[in-house]
Amino acid sequence: MTKPRYLVLSDGTIYAGTAFGGTTISTGELVFNTGMTGYQESITDQSYNGEILMFTYPLIGNYGINFDDDESVKPTTAGVVVHELARRASNWRSQMSLAEFLKRHQIPGITDLDTRSITKKIRSQGAMVAALVDTKEQIKQFLERSEQTNQIDLVVQSSTNNAYPNPNIGLRIVVVDYGLKHSILRELSKRKCNVVVLPATATAQQVLSYQPDGVLLSNGPGDPKNVPAALEMIRTVEQRVPLFGICLGHQLFALANGADTFKMKFGHRGFNHPIREIATNRIDFTAQNHGYAVAAESIVQTNLLVTHQEINDQTIEGLRHKQYPAFSVQFHPDAAPGPHDASHLFDDFLENIVSYQRQRSISNHA
Amino acid sequence: MVAHEVVDGSSMQRALTRITYEIIEQNKGVDDLVFVGIKTRGIYLAKRLAKRLKQLEQIDVPVGELDISLYRDDRHIPDHHIEPTVTASDIDVDITDKHVILVDDVLFTGRTVRAALDALMDLGRPKKISLAVLVDRGHRELPIRPDFVGKNIPTAMDEQVHVAMEEYDGHEDITIEKIKE
Repeated sequence: MTKPRYLVLSDGTIYAGTAFGGTTISTGELVFNTGMTGYQESITDQSYNGEILMFTYPLIGNYGINFDDDESVKPTTAGVVVHELARRASNWRSQMSLAEFLKRHQIPGITDLDTRSITKKIRSQGAMVAALVDTKEQIKQFLERSEQTNQIDLVVQSSTNNAYPNPNIGLRIVVVDYGLKHSILRELSKRKCNVVVLPATATAQQVLSYQPDGVLLSNGPGDPKNVPAALEMIRTVEQRVPLFGICLGHQLFALANGADTFKMKFGHRGFNHPIREIATNRIDFTAQNHGYAVAAESIVQTNLLVTHQEINDQTIEGLRHKQYPAFSVQFHPDAAPGPHDASHLFDDFLENIVSYQRQRSISNHA
Repeated sequence: MVAHEVVDGSSMQRALTRITYEIIEQNKGVDDLVFVGIKTRGIYLAKRLAKRLKQLEQIDVPVGELDISLYRDDRHIPDHHIEPTVTASDIDVDITDKHVILVDDVLFTGRTVRAALDALMDLGRPKKISLAVLVDRGHRELPIRPDFVGKNIPTAMDEQVHVAMEEYDGHEDITIEKIKE
């Protein structure tokens, strides 16, 4: 038995499709992801908090959902838009269907839409707010109120409320959670890091009280300018401890050091984004999920060095501080989903720490 | 015993990139820098660091080449069979009042660096000399320490560390080999 559902854009365009998953009504910015696979990781990625996620790949749900690939405990994606939902999930790891998963988490889904033509529209007209609704009445309601977007604090919602450890036997790393993907913890675990995860509201004093060898600023949802409290923390911490920022963490690192960010026309979401390492001209294909970026012209006045650049639109993809052992990247070295080209950045982070500690021990003796 | 690879080519590249960032970081800018590579692979390493700096900061740092054969402390020992080959050092710029970064592939006893310091002092009076090495393998015999290290590789005395570079060896990696008795 199929139920109708509508995807309504704020410009008044209405697409009729078929409902699946949760039954709630939702609104959020409509974004598109170009990955062929990895829908589970994307839907559970907190960076999609409050966004309606549309997949350009035509068949979604074919390998189901398993309990190993989640990127967070509770997905906060506002809705899922697919061209064709697989009738049956088939994979040896599959433990439930995508529809069942979305139902469990009360995330509405819609299928039987031409997601590629909608994507073309967003690409030409820019990002817009949209809604997933079930009745004509609700369409009307949304279009009447679509000017106001709800102003909940996405980062606070996605972040952990309390500090928690992810123990191991290696270097002590504090991860500040702005909506972190579990894969960041996985990558640190692989490298034996002894991790403490702190909430997004952590102060410099709280961060430093763990005597960390290094600090990682995680990814997260929304506009970096909505997290002003982080900037003071970053400015203090970067002078004391090697720092590594990913995605939102990268944008916060940039803001903290005097650069500016802007909202992109339609963002980078997918995992075929080529980036160039400026020092060597090495090209990596990277997983990305961001709707904001650091403004290139704002770098000039700062103490930051541009280290990576997107090849298609030349946006800034990596920065490094000119005085402190601190660096950041806009893309996801943790991949999941996506290519592992850039996973060496976690090694670079740890090597930075070791090198910094060696240098410091020399200068203490001098 | 066969040589086994301890660091692959791309890790070598990354180590050099990190050293470049550290040079920018500690130098608070890149004015007055001169790279001086110690003959053969140190020269290629110095060239690579200079290229990275140019890409990042659009600045040309001069690269000099240093041959330390004449300054070695073992060349007067009669039973030393290897005759030092004398090839000219090639440093175009005046190093006086410059910050010289000496570059070599492997730091071991420190004797090569000691010789390099002597050679440099004969050429001028730098404001500062720093040392960048791709590999620090330990076993120093002189009070010399590096400022920038690509990889710390603990070794035994009877092992040999070899750095291979595309420009000279046709491939890239760092290997360790046990010296036969």
